[in-house]
Amino acid sequence: MVSLLSVMLGLPQGDYIELHRKRHGYRHDHFERKRKKEAREVHKRSAIAQKVPPSSPVVHSFGPPGSYVFLLGFDDDYELCIHFRCTLNRCVQALGIKGKMFAKKRYAEKALMKKTLAMHEESTSRRKVDDDVQDGAVPAYLLDRENTTRAKVLSNTIKQKRKEKAGKWDVPLPKVRPVAEDEMFKVMRSGKRRTKQWKRMVTKATFVGPSFTRKPPKYERFIRPSGLRFNKAHVTHPELKATFNLEIIGVKKNPNGPMYTSLGVMTKGTIIEVNVSELGLVTPAGKVVWGKYAQVTNNPENDGCVNAVLLV
Amino acid sequence: MVQYNFKKITVVPPGKDFIDIILSRTQRQTPTVVHKGYAISRLRQFYMRKVKYTQQNFHEKLSTIIEEFPRLDDIHPFYGDLLHVLYNKDHYKLALGQVNTARNLISKIAKDYVKLLKYGDSLYRCKSLKVAALGRMCTVIKRIGPSLAYLEQIRQHMARLPSIDPNTRTVLICGYPNVGKSSFINKITRADVDVQPYAFTTKSLFVGHTDYKYLRYQVIDTPGILDRPFEDRNIIEMCSITALAHLRAAVLFFLDVSGSCGYSIAQQAALFHSIKSLFMNKPLIIVCNKTDLQPLEGISEEDMKLVMEMKAEAMKTVLGQGGEPTNDEGVLLTMSTLTEDGVIAVKNAACERLLNQRVEIKMKSKKINDCLNRFHVALPKPRDQKERPPCIPQAVMEARAKEAAEKEKRKTEKDIENENGGAGVYSASLKKHYILSNEEWKEDIMPEILDGHNVADFIDPDILLRLEELEREEGLRQAVEEDDDFEMDGKELTSEEQEALAEIRKKKSLLIQQHRIKKSTAESRPIVPRKFDKNKEFTTKRMGRQLSVLGLDPSLAINRARSRSLSRKGRKRERSPAYDGGDAMDVDVDTPKKKLRARSRSLSLSRSRSRPPSEVTPGEGFKDSAQKVKAIKLGKKSVKMRNKDARRGEADRVIPSLKPKHLFSGKRSIGKTQRR
Repeated sequence: MVSLLSVMLGLPQGDYIELHRKRHGYRHDHFERKRKKEAREVHKRSAIAQKVPPSSPVVHSFGPPGSYVFLLGFDDDYELCIHFRCTLNRCVQALGIKGKMFAKKRYAEKALMKKTLAMHEESTSRRKVDDDVQDGAVPAYLLDRENTTRAKVLSNTIKQKRKEKAGKWDVPLPKVRPVAEDEMFKVMRSGKRRTKQWKRMVTKATFVGPSFTRKPPKYERFIRPSGLRFNKAHVTHPELKATFNLEIIGVKKNPNGPMYTSLGVMTKGTIIEVNVSELGLVTPAGKVVWGKYAQVTNNPENDGCVNAVLLV
Repeated sequence: MVQYNFKKITVVPPGKDFIDIILSRTQRQTPTVVHKGYAISRLRQFYMRKVKYTQQNFHEKLSTIIEEFPRLDDIHPFYGDLLHVLYNKDHYKLALGQVNTARNLISKIAKDYVKLLKYGDSLYRCKSLKVAALGRMCTVIKRIGPSLAYLEQIRQHMARLPSIDPNTRTVLICGYPNVGKSSFINKITRADVDVQPYAFTTKSLFVGHTDYKYLRYQVIDTPGILDRPFEDRNIIEMCSITALAHLRAAVLFFLDVSGSCGYSIAQQAALFHSIKSLFMNKPLIIVCNKTDLQPLEGISEEDMKLVMEMKAEAMKTVLGQGGEPTNDEGVLLTMSTLTEDGVIAVKNAACERLLNQRVEIKMKSKKINDCLNRFHVALPKPRDQKERPPCIPQAVMEARAKEAAEKEKRKTEKDIENENGGAGVYSASLKKHYILSNEEWKEDIMPEILDGHNVADFIDPDILLRLEELEREEGLRQAVEEDDDFEMDGKELTSEEQEALAEIRKKKSLLIQQHRIKKSTAESRPIVPRKFDKNKEFTTKRMGRQLSVLGLDPSLAINRARSRSLSRKGRKRERSPAYDGGDAMDVDVDTPKKKLRARSRSLSLSRSRSRPPSEVTPGEGFKDSAQKVKAIKLGKKSVKMRNKDARRGEADRVIPSLKPKHLFSGKRSIGKTQRR
């Protein structure tokens, strides 16, 4: 039922705060109190940053005197601290996750404040510009030393590098950490006495395709669980710097081996083909592009999603 | 009954704080310690619990938001429209819709990640999955941050809306800006609305309450309406239009006849005609305000014509309600809020018309039939055709007439006070009307303390009379004491006198004894039982003779005595309950259910036996005989004893926990624990 009480008693309706201010004005000390309170905020904040807030209990652990000692319980345990001969000044800090969050927030604020201050202090006066030091320039006291040129050594290293590079494609992640087989597969025991160990379950993210049907369970050697199958990838276009949620068409190459490629396992560095018809790309000839390659940039089994960067 | 109290909606936190609250709650309320060496299922469970817990908290909080905000279609159309006018229905629905989708998205995220966590084979992997899940949930909330801020603002505004009950008696005040609507409501209610000389001082609806004929009316003050096409109206005006459209109320249309509001009577009349469609089926009263500046008779011809046109329109509403077509007093009223002249009359007129309309509607509706059976006006049947008007003695009539005449002529103390300078200047002389034997003593000052004693303790107006009385008493007492000195001494009597004295004393004691016996036997037993009345002295004839000697008519008493005699009734006959009307002094042999039987019997006994049990008499409160029969049946059922055969009662054994921990946990010091 409607609460009539407030209106029956003539209690406030509508913009009653403004109405009261209009009629009666402010308190005689309102502005002074406000100013003083705002001035006190600074001190309050630093007090919080330095002390443990009284409502949060903290774990006690002793250490040698002079080390950080965590306080147990509330402020009146300072006496306990002294008794164990630790220096009080080092004991105080806002602790735990609250302390960390506060410190992070405060740090961001301070950085911003410093930047704005610096910006304000930038003056229009001109200053002297230092010339860049030339490469190979040597200070005066090192002149007249003989430096042998290591031309041959240098050329050898260059050749080696060229050789290495030949085996690599021009992809965003040229080198990836190799994944061992026991990391990739989990052995599934089967049989009445659980002695047969020829089945393996894939523990990484996989892609199987829409027309995939399992082999009869008795004969399938590699199990790809449906919980780890992904159909979509978050693909970033490196130039547009935009990310799209695109369907995967297939796995092109897995750097860990052709077996993994045939299984469709997606690990970090795998090249996949994605459906880019959403982007509306057109070849110079005029044909619409609908599939492009992308390289996986994260560990999908750890993040629960496949992030890739488009290879343009 | 839907709540129109929007003050109870919980605060909607801003997006960032929302995330902080939920995450810190997860951190505090779920276990925090986990090591790499734990069993993998334990690790998985640990992280799954965190994901699930976070999802549940988000779900809970978002659900409260969605449920507590009112749904515009479910509340009264007045409030629905008002909220639409103030906040825009579409934005409101969109914001709530976004909150709903966020809730569903978070549920989906949690489900997916819990599925993935089942495949986690290391601490690092499970932890990363949990971090990803919580991160995604927080991103969803960050995205609806603006909606949350919008909902919080709406909530704050809604909490300040006036609590108007759309179904009760309401008086609505409307008119141009600055005509005196808020001053009127300030005068008749306790609402403290701001009154200022500029237009649109009142920016929203205000409600106040007033009483009339022991009933409470709510008076709603609206912001002023300008005469504009409907589409051009701003939000403030739309509030008034909404109130006019949806509330069934008496409407007071305010007219400023002096023009000091800045608008002429022609403009106000134009407004009236443009919104008169909203006055359909509502008692309408046209109130001319500010008559202290410009009386109604003094306005120009055209203006008078316009006012009469408006009055004609208002008369139509009276006619429409089937009211008297010639009763035009309650339609056009004048008043001035500054001098308070006519304010109460306007209020009374509005309340009266509204009340009449509501009563009429109620009488015509179907619900009245449910109530009608509960009323029964009992009129005494006239036993003859003689007229019996109220009889007022002549003296009283004369006195009344004299009083009425005197009242007009009498000069009150207040008038005297006003003449002599007002409240602070003149102080009335309270001793003016003292009744004293000497008129000159009126203005004398009475001392309070004299010789150390309170004078008031010694004051008595009848002191002389009392003195006389006392003296008389004294005289009497002395005389009595003289008489008492003459003692009764046995030796001074003669023998005859002594005999006579002894006889007198004996007879006196006999009488006293008899009286005592008579008192102790009381009415329950016959005064003289038959076995002691062998001589048959106590007959009805003798009683009749003695009563007629006294001058009373004995026939009734004789009849009663005869009817109660045992010989007529038969000694051993069981007393049938119908004749005695539930006498609780039944001689009962075995009564296992005495109390209940007596109770049900008493109920059935209170019903008359001369009518059939299902016949409804007018004063009983039943709609028809079916209802009465049902009521009787229910009454009997409620008295029945419940059968508790073989069912568990309060004293029966209860096992508080079926699997107590101490029996199902713990290791054995030697041997296996394969069975317990």
